[in-house]
Amino acid sequence: MSEKTFDIEATGEAEPSGHKDHFSVLVCIDGSDESYRALRYAVRIGSGTDANLTLLYVRPVDQGMRTGGLDLSVARANLLDWGLELPGMKALKKGRDMLIELGWLGADWQEEFRHADVTGDPLGDNMIVYTSEQGRSITLKLMVSPSIAHGILDEGDMGDYDLVILPMPERVTDAGPDFIEPGVAEIVAMEYTGTVLVARALEESHGHLLCVSDNEESIRAARKDAQIASRCACPVYLFSVARNEDEVPKAEAALAKARKAIEEEGIGISGEKVALGDAVEAIIEEGRSYSVIVVSAPTRKKGWRRFFTSSVAFNVLERAYNSVMIAR
Amino acid sequence: MGQRHLPQLPSLERVRSIALGPASRKLVRAPAVRGLAFFLWEKRWFFIALAVGAFIMHLPTPEKLSPEGQIVLAMSIVAVILFVTEPVPLPTVALMIIVGEVLLLGIESTDVARSLMSDSVLFIMGSLMLAVAVVKQKLDKRIAYLIVRMTGTGTFNVCMGISFVSGLLASFIGEHTVAAMMLPVAITLISLTSDDPRNVRRLAAVLLFSISYGASVAGIGTPSGGARNAIMIGYWKEFFFDPADPETRKYLVDYVTWMIYAYPVFLMQLPFVTGVLFLTFKPEYRSIARAVVKLRRQIEKEGAMKPADWLTICVFGVILVGWMTLSSDIGLGTVAILGATLFLVLGLVRWQDLNDGVNWGVVWLYAAAISLGIQMKDTGAAHWVATSFLDLLGTVGVDSGIALWTAVSALTTGVTNTMSNGAAVAVLGPITLNMAHAAGESPIVIGFITAISSAFAYLTVIGTPACTIVYSSGYLKTTDFLVVGTRMVVISTLILLFAASVYWPLLGL
Repeated sequence: MSEKTFDIEATGEAEPSGHKDHFSVLVCIDGSDESYRALRYAVRIGSGTDANLTLLYVRPVDQGMRTGGLDLSVARANLLDWGLELPGMKALKKGRDMLIELGWLGADWQEEFRHADVTGDPLGDNMIVYTSEQGRSITLKLMVSPSIAHGILDEGDMGDYDLVILPMPERVTDAGPDFIEPGVAEIVAMEYTGTVLVARALEESHGHLLCVSDNEESIRAARKDAQIASRCACPVYLFSVARNEDEVPKAEAALAKARKAIEEEGIGISGEKVALGDAVEAIIEEGRSYSVIVVSAPTRKKGWRRFFTSSVAFNVLERAYNSVMIAR
Repeated sequence: MGQRHLPQLPSLERVRSIALGPASRKLVRAPAVRGLAFFLWEKRWFFIALAVGAFIMHLPTPEKLSPEGQIVLAMSIVAVILFVTEPVPLPTVALMIIVGEVLLLGIESTDVARSLMSDSVLFIMGSLMLAVAVVKQKLDKRIAYLIVRMTGTGTFNVCMGISFVSGLLASFIGEHTVAAMMLPVAITLISLTSDDPRNVRRLAAVLLFSISYGASVAGIGTPSGGARNAIMIGYWKEFFFDPADPETRKYLVDYVTWMIYAYPVFLMQLPFVTGVLFLTFKPEYRSIARAVVKLRRQIEKEGAMKPADWLTICVFGVILVGWMTLSSDIGLGTVAILGATLFLVLGLVRWQDLNDGVNWGVVWLYAAAISLGIQMKDTGAAHWVATSFLDLLGTVGVDSGIALWTAVSALTTGVTNTMSNGAAVAVLGPITLNMAHAAGESPIVIGFITAISSAFAYLTVIGTPACTIVYSSGYLKTTDFLVVGTRMVVISTLILLFAASVYWPLLGL
């Protein structure tokens, strides 16, 4: 990972949160119910495996203008003097308690505190790392960043995660101070180089709908998600869309190719379907009854290309009613 | 796993104190690092603002507007878009205004530099330093003790006490100071009532809004209550005072005169705060006896008042007397700076604390906004906007009297809810004062209406510093502000119009 130590000035934080000999999941916590549903799902994906889990809360750096020129850190420092916790710490603590209830974090795990000074913010980054005897880790990270999107992307780059899960609240108006807005979720999904699951009304046990087309990247993405789905014993369904009758054979070929690739991994397919019509509309409608819609995004498009390229994946992400995974 | 086995999560302070080894990273990564598209997307409002500005500058110059006035208008619109959308750090807007005044308006850089510093700006700097100094004295626990001793344990009474004390303090030392001091009091009461935020959601709302709205309605009470007041006092002097004309001395509004006009408006609003909050949120607990008792015990551990506490109170008393008696001669800003100096000389606060706690970029921003406001006046842009707006209002018959006051109040309320109230007054002040002049209304009345209405930023989180600070607690939702804020806006506007039409005429306005 070339960017692992990007902008890190000293050696203290050189070690990323996720170790690559374990499957690693980053769950972005913002205190919303959706983020805890996402955490529960992450636990399910990691169950029975040696997955590492990082809970990330990003606090955007304060713009003093909003507090009339008095830095918000003065109010925060005053809260700490009273022995009160900051909202981010409270949200992470709730996530930590949930992991204990789910039996993921044991009392015998080693606890380690890490702090990184951040230029321009007095509180900096703070991390608590719990490590099991088997080498599995759970990290709670309170990070400061110019924006929530920057923070998540930076952590994603530093930790090189196999999966990044972030919540997308149904109602933006109900947002709290550091909630992840839909726009932020979309930016992260678009910019992150790995697989991103945007959790929206996430219900477990309804399976993954893997949307495939006739290209290698789509098949590879389907295989990768099938592996993730198999971790939580989630049923996998294949889906392809043909624009018209003439394209049906092509769609069926894509399904066959994907099925073969997935079955080679020893994973069974629970069902498959070809639909006719507009790809985005068909995927959104079909995907409503599944836990997660999985679509592939070939690579991160750079520069002007992204603005001029119509992407089924991002249209589905934007308009779907439920959770969408952008598999890469 | 039983609850007793849970590993304890330490407080952030503890985490910091046991940091493992030297580790640091830079906060700001160049957005361009993530690619041009990401950079452009993040900064889209910056480019849109520039495009809008360029477009306005290249439109045919309207009749009665000078070319320089057109440029100033374009700069103002760009600044407003950037204030509201925040695509760049806000102090950048200040720097852009400075550069724009030199490059686009052709003003000598020395003159631009001179226009940046005024008594209003000194006051903003001084009062921010005072705010940090006061918060650092830890008098909040004493204040909390005073409140809970006076109010008893009923939720309504505690909220009333918090809004009353917050208001009283904020009218002199600024709402941000009070919000920073009182926030831990409210959160302690909330968390001592229940650990689960969902069980105390409405209680949290009434307690936290008691701070923010109590402080917001009070910020209008005295010139030191907020930067907006000092800015308006500066505009009156800049726009209307002529040393050669004794008649214009009425535009030199001093501390006590401001209080005579505005303090009763604050006092009239105060009783409504708790009532509106209780009607809106209906808290889960009618009494918070357990939390109050625990809080009292917690505070009693602090012991008796210490000499430093008394010294702080004395210093603040001196500053207050200075504002009331000396500000008309030496300026509000000089007194505020003197106060900050006293805190430093007496060793009550370290320079490092002041340096860290004050966001100096905001001082730049206010300075540049005031400078742009003066350019709006000098180039005739403010007059042109004012007369055009007045003509527009005339078509619906609201171009004079109480109808005009309502329109000015509504305009200011709308703008202040989208940006800081100081910036709103800095931008709107030149326009509304010119409107008053053109409509034959008293600039003092319209000025007061503008400054006071800028405090009606109850609808959004970013409207007032106090709202932003209580929102950072994590207990409130953005919709809460909208729901209760709408009622507060209506009540505050009615009280303001009542004062303008009944009370102020009694004072000779």
